[in-house]
Amino acid sequence: AEKFDNLEEHLEKFIENIRQLGIIVSDFQPSSQTGLNQKLKFMITGLQDIEKCRQQLHDINVPLEVFEYIDQGRNPQLYTKECLERALAKNEQVKGKIDTLTKFKSLLISELGKVFPEEMGKYKAIHGDDPPS
Amino acid sequence: MSEIFSTLFGQNDAQPPTGQTAFGSGKPPPPNQAAGAAQMPTQLGDEGPTLRKPGAMNEPFYLLRELPVGNELTGNTNLITHYNLEHAYNKFCGKKVKEKLSNFLPELPGMIDCPGVQDGSSLRSLIEKPPVCGNSFSPLTGALLTGFRLHTGPLPEQYRLMHIQPPKKKSKHKHRHHRPQDPLPPETPSDSDPKKKKKKRDDDPDRKKKKKDKKKKKKHSPDHPGLTGSQSNSNSLR
Repeated sequence: AEKFDNLEEHLEKFIENIRQLGIIVSDFQPSSQTGLNQKLKFMITGLQDIEKCRQQLHDINVPLEVFEYIDQGRNPQLYTKECLERALAKNEQVKGKIDTLTKFKSLLISELGKVFPEEMGKYKAIHGDDPPS
Repeated sequence: MSEIFSTLFGQNDAQPPTGQTAFGSGKPPPPNQAAGAAQMPTQLGDEGPTLRKPGAMNEPFYLLRELPVGNELTGNTNLITHYNLEHAYNKFCGKKVKEKLSNFLPELPGMIDCPGVQDGSSLRSLIEKPPVCGNSFSPLTGALLTGFRLHTGPLPEQYRLMHIQPPKKKSKHKHRHHRPQDPLPPETPSDSDPKKKKKKRDDDPDRKKKKKDKKKKKKHSPDHPGLTGSQSNSNSLR
Protein backbone atom coordinates (compact mmCIF):
# COMPACT_ATOMS: atom_id res chain seq x y z
CA ALA A 1 0.00 0.00 0.00
CA GLU A 2 2.95 2.29 0.60
CA LYS A 3 4.07 2.09 -3.01
CA PHE A 4 0.57 3.05 -4.14
CA ASP A 5 0.50 6.00 -1.73
CA ASN A 6 3.86 7.12 -3.08
CA LEU A 7 2.68 7.01 -6.68
CA GLU A 8 -0.61 8.66 -5.77
CA GLU A 9 1.22 11.51 -4.08
CA HIS A 10 3.47 12.08 -7.09
CA LEU A 11 0.52 11.98 -9.47
CA GLU A 12 -1.50 14.45 -7.38
CA LYS A 13 1.43 16.87 -7.30
CA PHE A 14 1.94 16.47 -11.02
CA ILE A 15 -1.73 17.08 -11.81
CA GLU A 16 -1.85 20.10 -9.52
CA ASN A 17 1.23 21.49 -11.25
CA ILE A 18 -0.39 21.01 -14.65
CA ARG A 19 -3.56 22.66 -13.42
CA GLN A 20 -1.64 25.70 -12.20
CA LEU A 21 0.22 25.75 -15.51
CA GLY A 22 -3.12 25.93 -17.26
CA ILE A 23 -4.21 28.85 -15.08
CA ILE A 24 -1.01 30.77 -15.90
CA VAL A 25 -1.40 30.08 -19.60
CA SER A 26 -5.10 30.95 -19.71
CA ASP A 27 -4.32 34.61 -19.12
CA PHE A 28 -0.60 35.02 -19.63
CA GLN A 29 1.29 38.09 -18.47
CA PRO A 30 5.00 38.90 -19.01
CA SER A 31 5.62 38.66 -15.27
CA SER A 32 4.33 35.10 -15.30
CA GLN A 33 7.23 33.87 -17.46
CA THR A 34 9.46 32.86 -14.55
CA GLY A 35 6.58 31.05 -12.88
CA LEU A 36 5.80 29.28 -16.15
CA ASN A 37 9.42 28.15 -16.52
CA GLN A 38 9.40 26.86 -12.97
CA LYS A 39 6.22 24.89 -13.60
CA LEU A 40 7.69 23.40 -16.77
CA LYS A 41 10.80 22.29 -14.90
CA PHE A 42 8.67 20.80 -12.16
CA MET A 43 6.70 18.96 -14.81
CA ILE A 44 9.91 17.24 -15.96
CA THR A 45 10.94 16.34 -12.42
CA GLY A 46 7.41 15.12 -11.75
CA LEU A 47 7.65 12.77 -14.72
CA GLN A 48 11.02 11.56 -13.48
CA ASP A 49 9.55 10.79 -10.05
CA ILE A 50 6.64 8.90 -11.62
CA GLU A 51 9.13 6.96 -13.74
CA LYS A 52 10.98 5.91 -10.57
CA CYS A 53 7.72 4.64 -9.03
CA ARG A 54 7.32 2.36 -12.02
CA GLN A 55 9.99 -0.05 -10.75
CA GLN A 56 8.07 -0.78 -7.57
CA LEU A 57 4.89 -1.56 -9.48
CA HIS A 58 6.17 -3.84 -12.24
CA ASP A 59 4.29 -6.84 -10.78
CA ILE A 60 0.91 -5.10 -10.56
CA ASN A 61 -1.66 -6.27 -13.08
CA VAL A 62 -4.78 -4.28 -13.89
CA PRO A 63 -7.69 -5.98 -15.68
CA LEU A 64 -8.49 -4.40 -19.02
CA GLU A 65 -12.19 -4.27 -18.21
CA VAL A 66 -11.49 -1.55 -15.63
CA PHE A 67 -10.20 0.67 -18.42
CA GLU A 68 -13.55 0.37 -20.15
CA TYR A 69 -15.27 1.73 -17.06
CA ILE A 70 -12.82 4.62 -16.77
CA ASP A 71 -13.13 5.48 -20.45
CA GLN A 72 -16.89 5.67 -20.05
CA GLY A 73 -16.53 8.02 -17.08
CA ARG A 74 -17.77 5.41 -14.62
CA ASN A 75 -16.46 4.63 -11.16
CA PRO A 76 -13.96 1.71 -11.35
CA GLN A 77 -15.20 0.49 -7.98
CA LEU A 78 -18.32 -0.59 -9.85
CA TYR A 79 -16.16 -3.14 -11.65
CA THR A 80 -14.99 -4.57 -8.32
CA LYS A 81 -18.57 -4.61 -7.08
CA GLU A 82 -19.81 -6.41 -10.18
CA CYS A 83 -16.96 -8.94 -9.99
CA LEU A 84 -17.82 -9.78 -6.39
CA GLU A 85 -21.53 -10.03 -7.18
CA ARG A 86 -20.87 -12.28 -10.17
CA ALA A 87 -18.53 -14.47 -8.11
CA LEU A 88 -21.11 -14.84 -5.37
CA ALA A 89 -23.90 -15.59 -7.84
CA LYS A 90 -21.77 -18.24 -9.56
CA ASN A 91 -20.77 -19.67 -6.18
CA GLU A 92 -24.43 -19.99 -5.21
CA GLN A 93 -25.30 -21.52 -8.56
CA VAL A 94 -22.57 -24.16 -8.28
CA LYS A 95 -23.47 -24.88 -4.67
CA GLY A 96 -27.05 -25.44 -5.76
CA LYS A 97 -25.90 -27.89 -8.41
CA ILE A 98 -23.69 -29.75 -5.93
CA ASP A 99 -26.50 -29.97 -3.37
CA THR A 100 -29.01 -31.16 -5.98
CA LEU A 101 -26.65 -33.80 -7.36
CA THR A 102 -25.74 -34.99 -3.86
CA LYS A 103 -29.41 -35.43 -3.00
CA PHE A 104 -30.00 -37.17 -6.31
CA LYS A 105 -27.10 -39.55 -5.68
CA SER A 106 -28.29 -40.54 -2.22
CA LEU A 107 -31.84 -40.97 -3.49
CA LEU A 108 -30.65 -43.06 -6.44
CA ILE A 109 -28.53 -45.30 -4.22
CA SER A 110 -31.40 -45.83 -1.82
CA GLU A 111 -33.84 -46.66 -4.61
CA LEU A 112 -31.37 -48.92 -6.38
CA GLY A 113 -30.78 -50.64 -3.06
CA LYS A 114 -34.47 -51.45 -2.90
CA VAL A 115 -34.64 -52.79 -6.45
CA PHE A 116 -31.17 -54.43 -6.74
CA PRO A 117 -30.13 -55.23 -3.17
CA GLU A 118 -27.42 -57.74 -4.06
CA GLU A 119 -25.80 -55.60 -6.73
CA MET A 120 -25.84 -52.57 -4.50
CA GLY A 121 -24.22 -54.61 -1.79
CA LYS A 122 -21.36 -55.44 -4.19
CA TYR A 123 -21.15 -51.79 -5.23
CA LYS A 124 -20.89 -50.64 -1.63
CA ALA A 125 -18.23 -53.26 -1.00
CA ILE A 126 -16.12 -51.73 -3.79
CA HIS A 127 -16.72 -48.06 -3.13
CA GLY A 128 -17.68 -48.24 0.49
CA ASP A 129 -20.53 -46.34 2.04
CA ASP A 130 -20.60 -42.88 0.49
CA PRO A 131 -20.14 -40.29 3.23
CA PRO A 132 -22.84 -37.66 3.40
CA SER A 133 -21.55 -34.46 1.78
CA MET B 1 -12.02 -44.23 -25.50
CA SER B 2 -9.57 -46.75 -26.97
CA GLU B 3 -10.39 -49.32 -24.29
CA ILE B 4 -14.08 -49.11 -25.23
CA PHE B 5 -13.32 -49.84 -28.89
CA SER B 6 -10.94 -52.63 -27.93
CA THR B 7 -13.67 -54.37 -25.95
CA LEU B 8 -16.18 -53.92 -28.77
CA PHE B 9 -13.98 -55.04 -31.62
CA GLY B 10 -11.88 -57.51 -29.65
CA GLN B 11 -8.25 -58.54 -29.66
CA ASN B 12 -6.91 -62.08 -29.94
CA ASP B 13 -3.73 -61.61 -27.89
CA ALA B 14 -3.44 -60.49 -24.34
CA GLN B 15 -0.55 -58.22 -25.31
CA PRO B 16 -1.40 -54.91 -26.90
CA PRO B 17 -1.30 -55.17 -30.70
CA THR B 18 1.50 -53.55 -32.61
CA GLY B 19 0.71 -51.79 -35.80
CA GLN B 20 -2.99 -52.29 -35.32
CA THR B 21 -5.49 -49.62 -34.45
CA ALA B 22 -7.98 -49.96 -31.66
CA PHE B 23 -10.58 -50.84 -34.28
CA GLY B 24 -8.91 -54.18 -34.86
CA SER B 25 -9.78 -56.17 -37.93
CA GLY B 26 -13.27 -54.81 -38.14
CA LYS B 27 -14.91 -58.14 -37.33
CA PRO B 28 -16.90 -58.59 -34.12
CA PRO B 29 -15.06 -60.75 -31.58
CA PRO B 30 -16.30 -64.28 -30.93
CA PRO B 31 -18.11 -64.76 -27.63
CA ASN B 32 -15.25 -66.76 -26.09
CA GLN B 33 -12.79 -64.00 -26.69
CA ALA B 34 -15.11 -61.27 -25.43
CA ALA B 35 -14.42 -62.18 -21.82
CA GLY B 36 -10.69 -62.20 -22.50
CA ALA B 37 -10.97 -58.95 -24.36
CA ALA B 38 -12.88 -57.54 -21.42
CA GLN B 39 -9.72 -57.89 -19.38
CA MET B 40 -7.72 -55.85 -21.89
CA PRO B 41 -8.79 -52.36 -20.87
CA THR B 42 -7.34 -52.77 -17.40
CA GLN B 43 -4.01 -53.89 -18.79
CA LEU B 44 -4.07 -51.31 -21.50
CA GLY B 45 -4.92 -48.72 -18.92
CA ASP B 46 -1.93 -49.72 -16.85
CA GLU B 47 0.53 -49.87 -19.71
CA GLY B 48 -0.89 -46.94 -21.63
CA PRO B 49 0.48 -43.40 -21.64
CA THR B 50 0.15 -41.34 -18.50
CA LEU B 51 -2.29 -38.95 -20.19
CA ARG B 52 -4.91 -41.68 -20.49
CA LYS B 53 -7.61 -41.87 -17.83
CA PRO B 54 -7.38 -44.70 -15.25
CA GLY B 55 -8.71 -47.92 -16.60
CA ALA B 56 -12.25 -48.92 -15.88
CA MET B 57 -13.06 -52.14 -14.05
CA ASN B 58 -15.39 -54.55 -15.68
CA GLU B 59 -15.92 -56.92 -12.73
CA PRO B 60 -18.46 -57.05 -11.21
CA PHE B 61 -19.84 -53.97 -12.99
CA TYR B 62 -19.08 -53.01 -16.56
CA LEU B 63 -16.97 -49.87 -16.93
CA LEU B 64 -17.07 -49.09 -13.25
CA ARG B 65 -14.52 -46.38 -12.64
CA GLU B 66 -12.87 -45.28 -9.47
CA LEU B 67 -14.38 -42.27 -7.80
CA PRO B 68 -12.43 -39.06 -8.50
CA VAL B 69 -10.25 -37.63 -5.78
CA GLY B 70 -12.29 -35.09 -3.85
CA ASN B 71 -11.16 -31.51 -4.07
CA GLU B 72 -11.28 -29.67 -0.78
CA LEU B 73 -12.24 -26.36 -2.36
CA THR B 74 -15.46 -26.58 -4.36
CA GLY B 75 -18.43 -24.38 -5.04
CA ASN B 76 -19.94 -25.85 -1.90
CA THR B 77 -17.76 -23.50 0.16
CA ASN B 78 -18.44 -19.82 0.46
CA LEU B 79 -15.45 -18.53 -1.48
CA ILE B 80 -15.92 -14.98 -0.22
CA THR B 81 -15.23 -16.09 3.36
CA HIS B 82 -12.58 -18.58 2.24
CA TYR B 83 -10.49 -15.84 0.66
CA ASN B 84 -11.28 -13.34 3.45
CA LEU B 85 -13.15 -10.95 1.16
CA GLU B 86 -16.04 -10.23 3.52
CA HIS B 87 -14.81 -6.75 4.28
CA ALA B 88 -14.39 -5.97 0.59
CA TYR B 89 -17.83 -7.40 -0.17
CA ASN B 90 -19.52 -5.32 2.53
CA LYS B 91 -17.61 -2.24 1.40
CA PHE B 92 -18.53 -2.50 -2.28
CA CYS B 93 -21.84 -4.37 -2.23
CA GLY B 94 -23.24 -3.32 1.13
CA LYS B 95 -23.16 0.39 0.42
CA LYS B 96 -24.23 2.18 -2.68
CA VAL B 97 -21.26 2.88 -4.95
CA LYS B 98 -21.61 6.10 -6.89
CA GLU B 99 -21.74 5.86 -10.63
CA LYS B 100 -19.50 8.67 -11.81
CA LEU B 101 -15.74 8.73 -12.05
CA SER B 102 -15.65 12.13 -10.36
CA ASN B 103 -17.02 10.52 -7.19
CA PHE B 104 -13.99 8.22 -7.15
CA LEU B 105 -11.56 11.02 -7.95
CA PRO B 106 -13.15 14.21 -6.55
CA GLU B 107 -9.91 16.22 -6.58
CA LEU B 108 -9.15 15.60 -10.24
CA PRO B 109 -9.71 18.73 -12.35
CA GLY B 110 -11.48 18.79 -15.69
CA MET B 111 -14.53 17.06 -17.15
CA ILE B 112 -13.63 13.49 -16.25
CA ASP B 113 -17.17 12.11 -16.38
CA CYS B 114 -17.30 12.48 -20.15
CA PRO B 115 -16.25 9.48 -22.25
CA GLY B 116 -12.55 9.51 -23.09
CA VAL B 117 -13.26 8.87 -26.76
CA GLN B 118 -14.72 12.36 -27.19
CA ASP B 119 -11.53 14.24 -26.39
CA GLY B 120 -9.01 11.53 -27.25
CA SER B 121 -8.06 10.87 -23.65
CA SER B 122 -9.20 7.24 -23.50
CA LEU B 123 -6.99 4.61 -21.89
CA ARG B 124 -7.88 2.19 -24.67
CA SER B 125 -6.17 4.43 -27.22
CA LEU B 126 -3.12 4.52 -24.95
CA ILE B 127 -2.95 0.72 -25.01
CA GLU B 128 -3.55 0.44 -28.74
CA LYS B 129 -1.08 3.18 -29.64
CA PRO B 130 1.44 3.38 -26.80
CA PRO B 131 3.60 6.49 -26.68
CA VAL B 132 7.31 6.37 -27.36
CA CYS B 133 9.04 5.16 -24.19
CA GLY B 134 12.59 4.36 -23.20
CA ASN B 135 14.06 7.82 -23.48
CA SER B 136 15.00 9.46 -20.22
CA PHE B 137 13.46 12.73 -19.11
CA SER B 138 16.13 15.38 -19.45
CA PRO B 139 15.55 18.78 -17.79
CA LEU B 140 14.82 21.80 -19.97
CA THR B 141 17.78 24.09 -20.57
CA GLY B 142 17.65 27.86 -20.94
CA ALA B 143 17.73 27.59 -24.70
CA LEU B 144 14.83 25.16 -24.76
CA LEU B 145 12.80 27.33 -22.41
CA THR B 146 12.90 30.19 -24.89
CA GLY B 147 10.44 28.18 -26.94
CA PHE B 148 7.88 28.66 -24.16
CA ARG B 149 7.63 32.42 -24.41
CA LEU B 150 3.92 33.12 -24.78
CA HIS B 151 1.88 36.03 -26.02
CA THR B 152 0.16 38.08 -23.33
CA GLY B 153 -3.58 38.09 -22.91
CA PRO B 154 -6.34 35.49 -22.53
CA LEU B 155 -6.55 32.26 -24.48
CA PRO B 156 -8.36 32.12 -27.82
CA GLU B 157 -12.03 31.16 -27.72
CA GLN B 158 -11.61 27.60 -28.99
CA TYR B 159 -9.31 26.65 -26.10
CA ARG B 160 -11.39 28.15 -23.28
CA LEU B 161 -13.78 25.19 -23.07
CA MET B 162 -11.00 23.07 -21.57
CA HIS B 163 -11.15 25.02 -18.34
CA ILE B 164 -14.85 24.66 -17.65
CA GLN B 165 -15.53 22.45 -14.70
CA PRO B 166 -18.74 20.52 -14.15
CA PRO B 167 -21.12 22.21 -11.68
CA LYS B 168 -20.62 21.08 -8.13
CA LYS B 169 -23.45 19.18 -6.56
CA LYS B 170 -25.35 20.68 -3.69
CA SER B 171 -23.75 19.38 -0.51
CA LYS B 172 -25.74 18.74 2.60
CA HIS B 173 -22.94 19.94 4.87
CA LYS B 174 -22.84 23.64 5.59
CA HIS B 175 -19.02 23.87 5.73
CA ARG B 176 -17.40 23.52 2.32
CA HIS B 177 -13.70 23.37 1.38
CA HIS B 178 -12.95 25.79 -1.43
CA ARG B 179 -9.69 26.35 -3.28
CA PRO B 180 -8.38 29.91 -3.29
CA GLN B 181 -8.95 30.20 -7.07
CA ASP B 182 -12.63 29.27 -6.81
CA PRO B 183 -14.80 32.29 -5.98
CA LEU B 184 -18.10 31.80 -4.15
CA PRO B 185 -21.16 32.67 -6.24
CA PRO B 186 -22.49 36.07 -5.13
CA GLU B 187 -26.16 36.74 -4.32
CA THR B 188 -27.96 38.43 -7.17
CA PRO B 189 -30.45 41.29 -6.64
CA SER B 190 -33.18 39.38 -8.47
CA ASP B 191 -33.50 37.03 -5.49
CA SER B 192 -34.84 39.75 -3.22
CA ASP B 193 -38.08 40.36 -5.13
CA PRO B 194 -39.74 36.98 -4.70
CA LYS B 195 -38.65 37.08 -1.06
CA LYS B 196 -40.57 40.29 -0.42
CA LYS B 197 -43.66 38.94 -2.14
CA LYS B 198 -43.61 35.79 -0.09
CA LYS B 199 -43.04 37.68 3.14
CA LYS B 200 -46.26 39.66 2.66
CA ARG B 201 -48.30 36.51 2.27
CA ASP B 202 -47.02 34.71 5.38
CA ASP B 203 -48.55 35.61 8.69
CA ASP B 204 -47.33 32.61 10.71
CA PRO B 205 -43.83 33.25 12.22
CA ASP B 206 -42.81 29.56 12.10
CA ARG B 207 -43.66 29.39 8.44
CA LYS B 208 -41.58 32.49 7.82
CA LYS B 209 -38.52 30.93 9.47
CA LYS B 210 -38.81 27.71 7.51
CA LYS B 211 -39.19 29.54 4.23
CA LYS B 212 -36.16 31.71 5.00
CA ASP B 213 -34.04 28.61 5.60
CA LYS B 214 -35.21 27.09 2.33
CA LYS B 215 -34.39 30.26 0.43
CA LYS B 216 -30.89 30.44 1.91
CA LYS B 217 -30.23 26.88 0.82
CA LYS B 218 -31.47 27.60 -2.69
CA LYS B 219 -29.20 30.64 -3.04
CA HIS B 220 -26.09 28.64 -2.31
CA SER B 221 -26.96 25.87 -4.77
CA PRO B 222 -25.05 25.79 -8.10
CA ASP B 223 -28.30 25.11 -9.97
CA HIS B 224 -29.64 28.55 -9.14
CA PRO B 225 -30.28 30.52 -12.39
CA GLY B 226 -28.53 33.61 -11.12
CA LEU B 227 -25.17 31.86 -10.67
CA THR B 228 -24.35 30.45 -14.12
CA GLY B 229 -23.57 33.86 -15.66
CA SER B 230 -20.99 34.75 -13.03
CA GLN B 231 -19.21 31.38 -13.28
CA SER B 232 -18.63 31.41 -17.02
CA ASN B 233 -16.92 34.81 -17.01
CA SER B 234 -14.22 33.82 -14.56
CA ASN B 235 -10.81 32.89 -15.91
CA SER B 236 -10.02 30.44 -13.16
CA LEU B 237 -10.25 26.72 -13.80
CA ARG B 238 -12.65 26.12 -10.94
